[in-house]
Amino acid sequence: MTGKPENLGRPIPRQYNGVGMQLPPLSYFLRYLFAIAFIAATTAVFFALRGTLDRAPIALLYLLPIVLSTALWGLGPGVTASFFAFLTFNYLFLQPYFTMTVHRPSDLVMLVVFLIVAVVISQLVGRAQMGLTAAREREREATQLYELSTVLSGLHDDQAIARVLAEHLHVMFRAEQVELLISGSDPFRFQLPAGIRSPQRPPELAVAIQAARGVLGEIRMWRPAALPSAGERRLLQTFATQGALALERAWLGQAESRARILEESDRLKSAILSSVSHELRTPLSTIKAAATSLRSGEVGWDSTARLDLLAAIDEESDHLNLLVGNLLDMSRLESGALKPQRQWNVLSEIIGSVLQRMHRLAESHRVEVDLAEELPLVPVDYIQMEQVFTNLLSNSLKYAPAGSLIRIHARPIDDSSLYVQISNEGPAVPEEHLDRIFDKFYRITAAERVSGIGLGLSICKGIIEAHGGRIWAENLPAGFAFNLTLPLAWDGAQPPRPQVETES
Amino acid sequence: MSSPPHILVIDDEPQILRALRTILTEKKFKVTTAARAEEGLALAAANLPDIVILDLGLPDMDGIEVCARLREWTQCPIIVLSVREGERDKVAALDKGADDYLTKPFGIEELLARVRVALRHASRTQTAPETPVKAGPITIDLAWHTVTRDGEDVKLTATEFKLLAYLAANRGRVLTHRSILTQVWGPEDADHTEYLRVYVRQLRKKLEADPERPEYILTEPGVGYRFLADE
Repeated sequence: MTGKPENLGRPIPRQYNGVGMQLPPLSYFLRYLFAIAFIAATTAVFFALRGTLDRAPIALLYLLPIVLSTALWGLGPGVTASFFAFLTFNYLFLQPYFTMTVHRPSDLVMLVVFLIVAVVISQLVGRAQMGLTAAREREREATQLYELSTVLSGLHDDQAIARVLAEHLHVMFRAEQVELLISGSDPFRFQLPAGIRSPQRPPELAVAIQAARGVLGEIRMWRPAALPSAGERRLLQTFATQGALALERAWLGQAESRARILEESDRLKSAILSSVSHELRTPLSTIKAAATSLRSGEVGWDSTARLDLLAAIDEESDHLNLLVGNLLDMSRLESGALKPQRQWNVLSEIIGSVLQRMHRLAESHRVEVDLAEELPLVPVDYIQMEQVFTNLLSNSLKYAPAGSLIRIHARPIDDSSLYVQISNEGPAVPEEHLDRIFDKFYRITAAERVSGIGLGLSICKGIIEAHGGRIWAENLPAGFAFNLTLPLAWDGAQPPRPQVETES
Repeated sequence: MSSPPHILVIDDEPQILRALRTILTEKKFKVTTAARAEEGLALAAANLPDIVILDLGLPDMDGIEVCARLREWTQCPIIVLSVREGERDKVAALDKGADDYLTKPFGIEELLARVRVALRHASRTQTAPETPVKAGPITIDLAWHTVTRDGEDVKLTATEFKLLAYLAANRGRVLTHRSILTQVWGPEDADHTEYLRVYVRQLRKKLEADPERPEYILTEPGVGYRFLADE
């Protein structure tokens, strides 16, 4: 045998490589041409050997190329080869030579038997070949289907399901382009190969992804080579059904986890309400007490008590405002509405305005700002970052002893991110709590000692993560620190470095 | 001004209206109040106030729309009131012609300072000569293009001076990023806030005692900048 039959005509797809490289099947015409050429070639050899070979072995030897042709190129070319061999045998090897006439009766018998044997053999070989091909094809389909259903059963994400389905379709149908339109809550289109515009013409193969509760999408394939057979259509339908099942399963799973989240957030809301009403009452009580005592007229007009009470009202209303702001931020964070409005910002400006706004609160501590010279611009939401530093600073002020040092330090780690540390000389946090302090309503100390709802740090975490950064806490040899990183690139763009002109 | 300045307050919160009326009357202003935008616009048309204080969260009309409607026929100063979360509304209102803004809750000194600045700017449109602007140790002579700090010349680049001059000419008022960029760099650079950030940093380094805690070139978070000069 000169070649493996299964590698010709219909190549077995190789490992999927994303581009869809395949040998094109030999065209119909070429296969016949090859069969005839093969017979012609062998005839030339027999003709050269006609002195040494008798006509009977030649007739037998002719069966060889016929069988091979059938095996290689199929039934049609095989039968054609038989007839062509019959003609050349008669023309060249039976007397009278170079005519199509036969004189000897025995030759006539031989010729007829030869033709019958040749045709029958090529029929048999051809049928076997076709059966083999079909069996291989069915095996391939079964394998593909098995693989598809195995892979799909492990997926819970629409995009991943679409990708797997498209890859299998692309291999199985040798499509030039596969396109999946998936409807559902978040409709999308998946194309393979990606990045290529789908052909302008209507797709050669299209089928709806149909599930019990309706159409979930559509499969469209472009394949100019051959029209789809009935078997292929059936197979495509099976693929679509597999896809539909997987999608439906994924959507059910998503709905279930949404329900769980809702339940969770309901619980959280009750927790918020009870915690918040307590926290809001504290400053309100102070304000109420101060205002009523001022109204009562029992506090002297010029006394220091009066100034203290007024300061208390002022400070406690600021405190209330901060609480309300954090609550609002939290609810926006929860609903996903806290999208950063990024702009290129100067970090020192943000930190500076926080320090300025908090200078009265920060008077109890020493605050040192240590920023690397010429920090790159950072792509952040100014207001949200102000909120982050306000919360981190107010947390440090709350827990670190009065008079101690709070240090804000920032430097670029590399070209892609900036590192900021806010350290204080406050007490260490037990290692096992370091991650949890960023959880909602999480507080280490007893509620009476330090005020706050326990939202500040979780808001910081939410904001930093929405910016694509990271925040974590750490115990220092003598104190405690919040660390955070912020990406410096924005949509792939590095921080601009506006040229500052020189003085004239 | 012979008669007391007339302030029109448009806010749908009765408590705010009551407090502002009390405080502003105490400060010798004539105060008119309106709880709805339509009513406010009608009052303004009937008796043009010297200043409008406008809440952006009115029930019957978008505050930005009210600004635009007022600006169709009067240049009287508008100070908008907004909440911390409403940066975009503030900027939109300022771009639509509002003169300044205050974030609720605000201190009354802040409000009075804004009112004084707005009144001064409204009256200065008629009076031409510019005296040097003083802000603490800084003196900016807009006519002579000189800047001194503690009596010593401060060398500024052309753009730095242009920026400082624009801020100083509008001392006390908030200026949005967009308006500064348009004025100093030109309309095509109106979105390049990074220029502004970098140049403000430069200016602060040259003029402020502590550039990290500026006293004169102030940041208005999410909105723009304000130059605080001596009154």
